[in-house]
This record gives sequence, structure tokens and C-alpha cells, in this order.
Amino acid sequence: MTSTTLASPQSTRRPGWRAWVAFSPLLVWLAAFVVVPTGMLFVYSFFKNAGYSEVERVFTLGNYALAFSPDYLGNFARSTAYAGLTTILCALIGYPVAYHIGRAPAGRRNRLLMLIMIPFMTSFLIRTFAWTTILDHQGVLNTLLRALQIIPVLLNDKFEVLHTPAAVMIVLVYTYLPFMILPVYGSVEKLDESLLEAASDLGAGPARTFVRVVLPLTMPGVGAGVLMVFVPAVAMFAVTHVMSGGTVYLIGDVIEDQFGSGGNLPFGSALGMVLLVGFIATFFLFTRREKTT
Amino acid sequence: MDKMVELRNVTKRFGGFVAVAGVDLDIRAGEFLTLLGPSGCGKTTLLRMISGFETPTEGSVHLAGQDVTALPPYRRDVNQVFQSYALFPHLSVADNVAFGLKMKKTPGDVIRRRVAEAIEMVSLAGFEQRKPAQLSGGQRQRVALARALVCEPKVLLLDEPLAALDAKLRRSMQIELKRLQTRLGITFLFVTHDQEEALVMSDRIAVVNKGKIEQIGGVEEIYHRPRTPFVADFIGQANILEARVLSCVGAWAQVLCRGDVGLTVAGEILAAEGTTLLSIRPEKIRLSSRRPAGENVLEATVHEEIFRGATDQLLLQTAGGFELTAIVANQSAAEEAFHQGDRVFCQLHPDDVVVLAREGGVNAVAARQT
Amino acid sequence: MKHLCLLFAFAICLAGCHRDKSSAATAPTLHLFAWSEYVPREVIDGFTKETGIPVDYEVYDTNEKMLAKLAPGSAQYDIIQPSEYMVEHLIKRKMVAPLDLAQIPNLSNLLPEFRNLAYDPGNQYSVPYMSGTVGIIINTDKVKEPVRGYADVFQEKYRKRIIALEDNREMVSWAFATRGIAINDVTPENLAKVKPMLREWVKMVKLFNSDDPKALLIRDEVDLGIVYSGEAAKLMDQDKRFKYVLPAEGAHRFIDNLCIPAGSKNKGAAMQFINYILRPEVSKIISDRFPYTNPNAAARKLLSDGQRANPASYPPDAGNLELFRDIGKANADVSVLMTELRS
Repeated sequence: MTSTTLASPQSTRRPGWRAWVAFSPLLVWLAAFVVVPTGMLFVYSFFKNAGYSEVERVFTLGNYALAFSPDYLGNFARSTAYAGLTTILCALIGYPVAYHIGRAPAGRRNRLLMLIMIPFMTSFLIRTFAWTTILDHQGVLNTLLRALQIIPVLLNDKFEVLHTPAAVMIVLVYTYLPFMILPVYGSVEKLDESLLEAASDLGAGPARTFVRVVLPLTMPGVGAGVLMVFVPAVAMFAVTHVMSGGTVYLIGDVIEDQFGSGGNLPFGSALGMVLLVGFIATFFLFTRREKTT
Repeated sequence: MDKMVELRNVTKRFGGFVAVAGVDLDIRAGEFLTLLGPSGCGKTTLLRMISGFETPTEGSVHLAGQDVTALPPYRRDVNQVFQSYALFPHLSVADNVAFGLKMKKTPGDVIRRRVAEAIEMVSLAGFEQRKPAQLSGGQRQRVALARALVCEPKVLLLDEPLAALDAKLRRSMQIELKRLQTRLGITFLFVTHDQEEALVMSDRIAVVNKGKIEQIGGVEEIYHRPRTPFVADFIGQANILEARVLSCVGAWAQVLCRGDVGLTVAGEILAAEGTTLLSIRPEKIRLSSRRPAGENVLEATVHEEIFRGATDQLLLQTAGGFELTAIVANQSAAEEAFHQGDRVFCQLHPDDVVVLAREGGVNAVAARQT
Repeated sequence: MKHLCLLFAFAICLAGCHRDKSSAATAPTLHLFAWSEYVPREVIDGFTKETGIPVDYEVYDTNEKMLAKLAPGSAQYDIIQPSEYMVEHLIKRKMVAPLDLAQIPNLSNLLPEFRNLAYDPGNQYSVPYMSGTVGIIINTDKVKEPVRGYADVFQEKYRKRIIALEDNREMVSWAFATRGIAINDVTPENLAKVKPMLREWVKMVKLFNSDDPKALLIRDEVDLGIVYSGEAAKLMDQDKRFKYVLPAEGAHRFIDNLCIPAGSKNKGAAMQFINYILRPEVSKIISDRFPYTNPNAAARKLLSDGQRANPASYPPDAGNLELFRDIGKANADVSVLMTELRS
């Protein structure tokens, strides 16, 4: 610590061989699982599809032309809309939860955080299938609605959430909620109690204290949460398929299919590259905005 | 006389802990009152019940004649300067100062004018667009002050606002604050554990101990006529002697200290016979090498001599067997100087010997005398 | 920092859901890559018990997905289960190994009509496992009007009541049959002709499911649709409301085969497995569990009259059935078209 603070700016910018050795596992990992595959995707995205997972090594821009055709632009838009709605719902549900946990006394705070983490102890796919048993026609939800006479009084007997876009939304929100709660919790926890008192002292009621003081000061947490929810939600697949019965076919499913049934590696690669560029752009947009505020 | 704040039999308990125990307190309009006491004595809790951050367990709080006990802080016409300043880090100096006025829905042009005036008043013109993180501790303190004063509160509450400043800055801020208060005529309620700060700034001081007000009064009264050993000891330095009352004649009483040393003291509140405690300020002890004429002369030896800059502190061993501390002006240029081992005569003027109540004894009486 | 630690804890939990593949047995494991809901557990366990060869069973739900995972020359799998057109394609690409028929004497149990087929003359590379058709399932309680062909299924009144196989080539073939185009005549022009109709059809489907349409039909989630005959046969056994119809416009008859990938390092055991499957009593178990059309003459003799009378398993009027042929590069066009329509 002291040596870095004492070192000249030049030497801090250029890490010594020790730093490279320390970083080498990470660099190898990055090279093997990020740089090389991304490079392969990039190269493949300019090849021609020869059917059945085969490619012709001929340069073409056709995959990108197809990726930017109206059908797929529509799909990108729809996927973005699903992810956007997921992000908004996660923020609306997650913020009060995170706020409550962040303001709770230390002992209770840790117990509540544990509760948020417990679902992660079982496999993600198992949890998704668990939702199908809750939401299907004869599932927990419908049984409850029938017991409350909501079926058949308000809803007809065919009512089912599973295999609708709503089911996809429910599981998307369920999946990504912790990724909103944790960063927001982090910024709420740091919030100085005396600032809330100062606002109250200066005449701001609870609502205006929230809008004028709490919200602006926890915005960095919300920003991080938005990034952590939105980016993976755009590319979500499998869950969308299970919950919608294959009718909500988002960009993640399209890409997955190109490497499976579709057997169209170049097109899948091109869609992947478009998504990647989109993510990087989103990320820079966010970090730049954070710096300016 | 206008009472700006009245606390009536206010008690605050946190679980089993009694932070404030049945306090009555009146604060006059326009005065600078200080709550002085050690940490944990309940002074901050008292302040927070006036600002509204705490609700009394029992009793009531009145502000300008109105019972505000049940009102939340944002409905009370008081403002606070926090110990940590609590400036909003995401707002500029100007926006911090404007915050309270905006909450009161003051028209924009009025806000602009008053914010400019408030910033001018605390000599921060030119810093309007800075963020709190870009200011020094003293500057932040001024912003906090401007932010509270711009709202023109009925009472300004200050919770150890100078504690985080270095000694020199603190001294200049003390004087600045006092001048500001005199000029604006706003009632200030100041909380501190620093007795010197309290003496410099206050009109009156309320000494708080263990959730109660031990004594309240003018600065000189608190200093010269402490009523309890706690007050005598907490403010300035005091020699506290135990004595037995021999007789009480008119305004004067005869008492006997350890070693059968007889003293004459002013005894108007000395009711009955028995033992009592006496207090005498070290600087009130007059020393001479020859026995002076008059009453209350004790013989002693200089046991220790401590150089304190402007003054010298002498530890005296009396013939009666007890110790006294005396403070004299720096002796380097004095005609008569006393050094370790010297024999001296100490004279305690009867008016300077204060008879104290046993702790708790006169407390309630003292607290109610306003 | 504390929050970073939390995130790491997440990552570890997520990573913790991998399966532990322990192979304590001495013989090298036989890696079977087959259709889901197609190979009974008892059959696999019986083989392991008899030979001591452990079997690892991994599943897929379309031929194309299987192909995508079967990298050329890879030793990852020892037995695969491609349909007829995929066998043809794999032979062309030299991705399957020739069989030593001397090691598969039970081949003679197969009916003559399932031997020496056009896509693999002389059974050099493949041995039929099961056969079946793709046809229409109807819940007769819910669907009162007669349904004879694809055009009767994909009607506005059945919107969001339809289940369909999630298989690009299948769906295209239904549209071809409806428009009177030969199902193997996959050309860009023909695809363009059926595109508008398919676009409508895709929107009418409530569920795309190849794995387990039975459960969804029994629960009344959907009322009709297009399924594999084995699923239909099983459903009709369980619930008399259901009826299986071979589409009047013509239907796909598939023959699923056992093949050995060229890269397999365990070909001896693989052929042992193929021969085991062809035993009448083993083949019967498969029919019991998955009532497709059994190509094994000796096994069919062991079936009950009821099993043989199930019209989905053994259609009385074979009608207008056709095998798929390898369409090679045209598959790319099918994939692009269907992806676009579903997007």
C-alpha cells in the first residue's frame, strides 16, 4: 500500500512482472474463455451457412444483413422490451426490499440477506420448473384462485398463467430480482442517517425526503442493478421457452437455436456479435452517465 | 419575558435506560442557552426532543406557546446544525442552502435572494456551485449554519457543531457564532461538552448530568456560585472540601474542615447543622509569605509547581492535612514568587467559599430557578 | 468489498449445480445420445447388468440438434439415434462408422420392409430402432368438427388451442403437403410459396413441444395438434377422448436408427448394444413403454392384441406416407425461414 502511494505516477501505470504473474491466471482464463471464443464468433459471423451446422469459408455480410432485417430488428426490440420491463419491475419491487434491509438493524439485516440468497442454493433450472407447477392450469395458483372463488366468478375456468408472456415475465423478474436488490442494498446501507434527519429538519416530509435525498443518493446502486438485470435479461433463453411453451421466442432463444436445431452457426455468431456490441454500448453509456453526475 | 421553548417534566427512556429524567426547562426568546454536560448525560436527547427526532416518553414540549410534542421534525419551526453537518453530498452549496426554502414552497426569486444573503452572511460568496466534498471542514460548518439560518427558525439548535474543527478555528467560530446570534436575535440552543466554549458564548448555561439539569443560570453565576459538586468540578477547576457546620449566625456560618481548620463562609442556604461541601476556585486563593490579617488563613507548603503558560498552578499541602490547588499569574516576573518547598499562607475570602448542596439535594430547586 | 464477496458466493452456488459423473465400473462407459422419451430405463439397466458396461444416456429433441453437438471425428458419443434423412446425411459426411453385421446377428429379426432401405442399402451404417408417423391428435370432447388434415387443424377457431412439434423441417413439410408440394422438394421457391401460410400457422400455436405433449393434452391445455404417433398411441391408451388421424394431405413416416459415430472409441460395445436392442424380448419392452411402430417381427409376436390393434402404432390404412430425404444445404433455408417466422 505504502509503496504504491510513494511510487511515481509512471511506475504505478506500468505494473511490474510480479503483477503480471499475479494476474496470469485471470489473463489465461480471459484469453481461453472470452477472447478466443469471441474471436471465433467474429470470424464465423462472416462465413456462409451450408446447412446442418456446416459453414462455407467464404466471406459474406449476409448474416449481418439478415440480423438487421425487419423481422430480427423486431425481435431485438421485443427482447429489449421484455428485459426493460423486467428491469423496471425488479427496480420497483427490489428497491423497497433493499431499502428495508439496508435500514434494518445489523443482526436482522444479515438474516434478511440470507433469505435473498437461499434460492441460489438450488439449481436455476429446477427453480424454473418449480414455477411451472405453481403457474400451470392445475397448479398452486389456480387452486388458490378456485378456493377464493375468483375462479370461476371473476376468471373463467380456462385461466392459466403458464405458457403466456406473463409467465415469462414472472420468472424473469424472479430470476433477476436479487441482482437488483444487492447493489441497491449496498448504497442504502451507506446512506447517512443524519442526512435523512437534516431533510426532515428542513421541512421535507417522508415523501419529499425520499425523492430529494434518498433516491438521488442511492441512484448509483440502482444504476448498477439496472445494468446487472438488463444486460443478462436481454439474452435470456431456455426460461423463456419453458415458461411460454415456445411461443415467446426472444433473441436469446434465436441465438441458441442457431447453434442447435437451426444449425446456422454464422447467423448465430452474427446475432451474438450484434448483441455484444449492444451490451458494450449500453455499458459505456451507463458508466459515462455516472461519471457526469 | 417571552418563553420560546418550554419543556415540562420531560422524560425519555430507551428501553430500561433513562436518558432524560423529568426535566423542566424554559428558554427565553433571543437568548443563547447552552446545554453543557459530559457525553451520555442526556443533553443531545434533550435537543433532539426539541427538534422532534425523539418523542418524550412523558411530558411535553412547547414552542412559542404551542404544544409541539406530537409534531414531526418537518412541521416544527426549528432548525438544527448537525455535529457532522449532514450536508447533502449530491447538492451544491447553493442548493443545500436553498433546500429548506424550497420545502416551504418559497417563490423562486425570494429563494435566490435569501440564499445569496445567507451565503454572504457566512462569508462563502463564490463557493455557491461547489459540492460539499470540495469544501474544508470550516466551510462545511458555515454552509450548515447558513442552511439552517436561511429558514429563519424560531430556535436554532446546534449539536456540538464545532467539535470537528481544530482548536484555533473553533475559537474564532465561537466568537463569530456569538456575534451572529446577537445580530440576528434568534434563539440559540447550543449543546456542548466543552465548558470553555459554553462560557465564551452563552447568555445562560444549563449544566446537565445523568438526565437532569443540575443548575441553570447566567455564565457568571454558574462559574462563581455553583450549587453542586458536579457543577463546581465540571466548570473550571475547584477545590472541594468537606466541612462540619458549627454555627449559623445571620448570613455567616462557622464550619470546621479536616484537621480542625475553622472557616467562616457565606451561609444563606446553609439550613441545618451537619456536614457540607465547600468549593473554592484555585484562582481565588490568595497567597502570601507572611500571615495576612483577616479570616480564613491557612498555613501550607508548596508541594508541586506546574508551569501553565499564562498561569502557574501550585499544589499546596495544608497544615490541616488536606490539599489545595491554587492558580496564580505567571510568577517569573512577580515580586513574590512561591516555589516547591516554600511555606505560604493562603487566605480564602468568605465570599469566595461557596457552600454546595449534596448531589441531588438542591437539584430540583436549582433547576427551577430561572 | 463485502458485496463482491456476496457475488462470489452467488457464483459458487450457481456453479454448484453441475452433475457428478462418477464411473466406478471397470468397462468403459457406453455413451448413448438418443431422443428424449425413447429408450426405456429397464433396457439400459438390463444391458449393463448383462454385460457390465455402464451406459450414459444423453438426450436431444431434434435431429438437427443432435448433429450440431456431434462434432466430426468426436469420440464423445458411441451410439446415436438419427432418423432416416439424417442417416443419409451422416453417411454422406462420413460421420458414421460402418457396422460389422457379423456382430449383429439379431438383425434378422427385423421385418424385410425395414431392411436394406434406400437411405442405407445393405444396412451398412444403420439399424432401425423404431418407426412411426407424424399425425394429428384430437381431443374429441373439445373438437367436434371432423379434422382430416393439416388445413383443418390450423384454423382461426383453434387459435391458441394447438400443440405442434418443435421441429423446423416437420412444420415446413406440413405446409408443403397442404399446398400439394412434395415434402422432399425443399427449394427456395417452394419455401417462399408456403411462407405466408406458415406465418399464420405459427401464430396459432399455443405450445411448441416435442418431448411430452401427452401431459399437456390430458390437462386440457390444448385441444388438438400434431404429434409423434408413439405419443398419440400412449395417450389413446390412457384417455379414450383422444383420436389420432393421419393427415389426408400426406404425412411423414420416420424411421429412427441406431448408428455408431465415426469417432467412437467403443465400437465393439456399441454393436453389442445394437444387437441387444434387436432381441425380441428387449424390443418388446420398448414397445410397451413407447408404443411406436416396432420394426422387429419377432418382437411384434410378443405384443398383446390390444397393442397391435392401436391405430396410432399400427395404422390400418397406411395411406399417403413418405420418408424424409437428406436435403443438404437447403436445411439452411428451412432454418432461416422458421427462425424468421417465429421471431
